Amino acid sequence: MTVDSRALDRLRPEGGARRADAVRPQDAEVFVPPRFWALLLVAVGAIIVQSTLLQPLSLRGAHVSLLTILLVWTGLRCGVTTAGLLGLLSGAIEDALGSGGVNVLATTVTGLCAGLLNVRFFADSLPVFVSAVGFATVLRGLVTYIVSELALGVRGSFHRASHELVWQCVLNCTAAALVLVIERIAGHVRK
Amino acid sequence: MVAIASFWDERKLLVFVTLIIVASIVMLVELDAARHGDRSLPDQLITSVIVPVEDALTQTTGAVVTEIRTLAHAGTLASDNATLQRKVQELAASNERLKEHAGENVRLRRMLALAQTMPLQTIAASVVGYAPEGTRREITIDRGWRDGVSHDAVVLDGDGLIGHVVDTGPHDAHVLLIIDPSSNVPAFLRDTRTWGIATGTWQHIRMKYIGQDVKVRPGDTVITGKGEIYPEGIVIGTVREVDRKDNALYQSAVVAPAVDFNGLLHVLVVRR
Repeated sequence: MTVDSRALDRLRPEGGARRADAVRPQDAEVFVPPRFWALLLVAVGAIIVQSTLLQPLSLRGAHVSLLTILLVWTGLRCGVTTAGLLGLLSGAIEDALGSGGVNVLATTVTGLCAGLLNVRFFADSLPVFVSAVGFATVLRGLVTYIVSELALGVRGSFHRASHELVWQCVLNCTAAALVLVIERIAGHVRK
Repeated sequence: MVAIASFWDERKLLVFVTLIIVASIVMLVELDAARHGDRSLPDQLITSVIVPVEDALTQTTGAVVTEIRTLAHAGTLASDNATLQRKVQELAASNERLKEHAGENVRLRRMLALAQTMPLQTIAASVVGYAPEGTRREITIDRGWRDGVSHDAVVLDGDGLIGHVVDTGPHDAHVLLIIDPSSNVPAFLRDTRTWGIATGTWQHIRMKYIGQDVKVRPGDTVITGKGEIYPEGIVIGTVREVDRKDNALYQSAVVAPAVDFNGLLHVLVVRR
């Protein structure tokens, strides 16, 4: 069925055509996912910064986890496979640098779960990203706590772990919001 | 149902399950290696690449921070210098007195026919980094088995005990701090010569299994007792508060560590 455009214009209220032009979608920005090796390099950088420069900066014993933020960012933008694989490799690197095997499962699960959100939400939404980072921090803390309790025999640390987890959530969410704001500013500058 | 089916499509499920299985295997290998004080081959490769980068970053940051502090305190340097010179004179005088006491101590030991304790041979090392997520209280130092650092070697600094080496690479080693909950150190109260076990509580240390009849006071110094790993007499910290219940078998004490674990730069590793 063909529709006469002039007939449509007649049906529109005055200025309708111009308004239709105004709301016509602009050139949509297509997100090109970064290469995996670049993500891995950023993850290694984040781990090194965490273990050296950020170590003296703590809030009530909690440290910001740049890796958790990166995993959520990757999960929201690149999907399950990339985020899960990044979680696996970066967790193994963290464990090699002195955590004795308690991180790798937690980072993999975090990456996979963040990757599940890829099809559900808009990746560049600030509330979605910050909430996802909050949930990811809790999830990662929970898995790490369970592994520590079961495998290393560290008993009675729930109070301390939950206390630090709350503060780490605050730190991570703040850092995540900053990351997204910086990303947006950088995007505007590039345009 | 359609939404759930697409959410858990076969490919995603396969990735999910495969990665969790691989992560679990990696975790078990790492935990087993950590339990035996070994390092897996991938760990050795990773540390041999990343530890030099951490070392360079730590050194550079340290140098920059020192320069900034020097510039910030340039005005007070002269007065600081005068104060330090006075201190040096005072310390030199007290050092002479200590030498006299040391000589007397040696004579007394001979008189009592006690075994002569050998002075501890140590290796100086720099702190390269901490465990990235703080899931364990560990540090990495820039000396490994090629430098003479061995598994279970005791690590200390001028203030007191830091921990012991849990695994070594050729040029680096991981040190478990005494504030880690998995660290147990034989300890005793210096004044009352009472034994206990000093266990880490993430931020502090708790000295457990102190007899109920012992009077423990805040401010008492806690030192290491001779054990399988630790030599005796190294300061662990001071008692901050005492936890005593009448119906308990033992009392315990919260001990503030002598060492500031957030600002570690250089340490000494005792040769075994």
